[in-house]
Amino acid sequence: MPIFDSWTEKAARRVAQGVSRRGTLARLGAAITGAAIIPALPVSRAVAAPHGAGEARPPIPSALAHDPGNRASCDYWRYCAIDGFLCSCCGGSVSTCPPGTEMSPITWIGTCTNPGDGRAYVISYNDCCGTTSCGHCLCNRNEGDRPQVRPQSNNDYNWCLGTQSSVYNCSTAVIIGTAGEK
Amino acid sequence: MAALLLGAACVLPAAAHAAAGPEPLAEEPIPAVTTLPQNWPASWLLVHDLNFASILDGKLAIVDTHDTVQPLKGLVRASQFASSQISPANHEIYTAETFYTRLTRGERTDAITIWDMATLQPKGEIVLPGAKRQLSVTYRNIFQLINHDSWALVANFTPAQSVTVVDLAGRKLLGEIDLPGCSHIYPTGERGFTSFCQDGSLISIQLDAAGKVQSSKTLPHVQDIDRQPHFQIPAMIGKVAWFVSYHGQIKGFDLSGPVAAPLPKLASVGTAEGGAPEWRPGGWQVIASDGKNLLYVLMSPNGKEGSHKDGGTEVWVVDPVAGKRLSRIALGGVFSSIAMTHEAQPRLVAASADGLIDIFDPATGQKIHSLGRTTAANPTLITPVP
Repeated sequence: MPIFDSWTEKAARRVAQGVSRRGTLARLGAAITGAAIIPALPVSRAVAAPHGAGEARPPIPSALAHDPGNRASCDYWRYCAIDGFLCSCCGGSVSTCPPGTEMSPITWIGTCTNPGDGRAYVISYNDCCGTTSCGHCLCNRNEGDRPQVRPQSNNDYNWCLGTQSSVYNCSTAVIIGTAGEK
Repeated sequence: MAALLLGAACVLPAAAHAAAGPEPLAEEPIPAVTTLPQNWPASWLLVHDLNFASILDGKLAIVDTHDTVQPLKGLVRASQFASSQISPANHEIYTAETFYTRLTRGERTDAITIWDMATLQPKGEIVLPGAKRQLSVTYRNIFQLINHDSWALVANFTPAQSVTVVDLAGRKLLGEIDLPGCSHIYPTGERGFTSFCQDGSLISIQLDAAGKVQSSKTLPHVQDIDRQPHFQIPAMIGKVAWFVSYHGQIKGFDLSGPVAAPLPKLASVGTAEGGAPEWRPGGWQVIASDGKNLLYVLMSPNGKEGSHKDGGTEVWVVDPVAGKRLSRIALGGVFSSIAMTHEAQPRLVAASADGLIDIFDPATGQKIHSLGRTTAANPTLITPVP
């Protein structure tokens, strides 16, 4: 089916620049987290903790005043398009994978605004692969997600591709530049 | 050994009191393993447990919706973003899984395992070459049975997309179909399938007796992915697949012929007061049918961009042909997946992402009972026994 060849190439290229991930595991977790914003549903609020999104833990602040927020919280500014377990809760950090894992070379990118300096940053959400699910600090933001028919904007795929192991551990949120300014 | 000795020591004082009591309890045979009926009741489900906390150790829970005391009837392994199918005609369950020789590292093997429905023991496997099986959160339509349950189709994603054709009965591979730009597999016609493509089109493919492409046809503009993207798991009524969009538009595709035929008339879940900002479908498996004429859609009162997988608190009952919403069922909590059993009087099953399963009477909207969190850690996909 040669008519599809150009699609494949384009799709593969876009995907390599990537947007997606296995986000829906976080999203399904978000079904629980989401319950927290529905006041009439205390039962669902109560069960938020087992999947990390609501687990009680001390904050992990940055040492820099102009990088504010708690890196163990889904609300931290860099996580505006993240989907998965936060590596800061898994033995790594916001920008490094935990020991024993391998960082996926295929990533998806978000643009998040840092409230500490008002700048928009390009954030690369590289997955960490090769060790079992971290299981802590499940976090998800879902704006712009589309069905798997559009892979580059779907977060249900496991993006531990191009690594020695496809086993997913956690996701980082690495600053790779500022957006929209020189 | 210590335990054996300890056990023996306990026998003696017990024996000393035996004469005054009732008859001793009967001896019980060892070993003893429960089996299931070969034909499962229509009240049973396969509940796919992605098991977020250890995705490597995903599983299928066999659940009896009538049994509130022991609803869990057994487990089948479903490892590492597995997919699953069930064939009552073959008395078999199929899992498509991924393994490494050292659990998390080493050589990767993708395989379909064939499980006996009565014993839940494996009875065969077919290795899938190329380490390319699509790994993602559980979707029904990335692993499908066709050709009267004798073949399986497996979606691949590396991220290059293709479909592997497998002869289950013959335990062999038949081939692979490149499908760039298209995803998911909806059985179509006598021996084929339809996939949706990222330019908004669909493609329907029929296979010949050897599993090779016999014909293919593309229909453009069947989905507006930006404005009305479909949830990818449809509800089936006969051979019509009913999809609901993120905004509540309902569209049917007749899959009985060699080429999928979009039904001309669109339906809607309708609107309601009380949304913040508005009611929209929400969850993972959000649409179910009674197999006759009604659709059931899981709805969230907090619908907005990005809310589509956050779960829902009500189920809205819609007659898509008449274009009417008939009723609303309040679930009393947030649930992420719904399904209908295929019983003579179907029951509505609602599962939350953290394992709560409640059973409702769809006719009255009343909860019949809860199975609690007794069967699966993270139910993603509910498959009623066909």
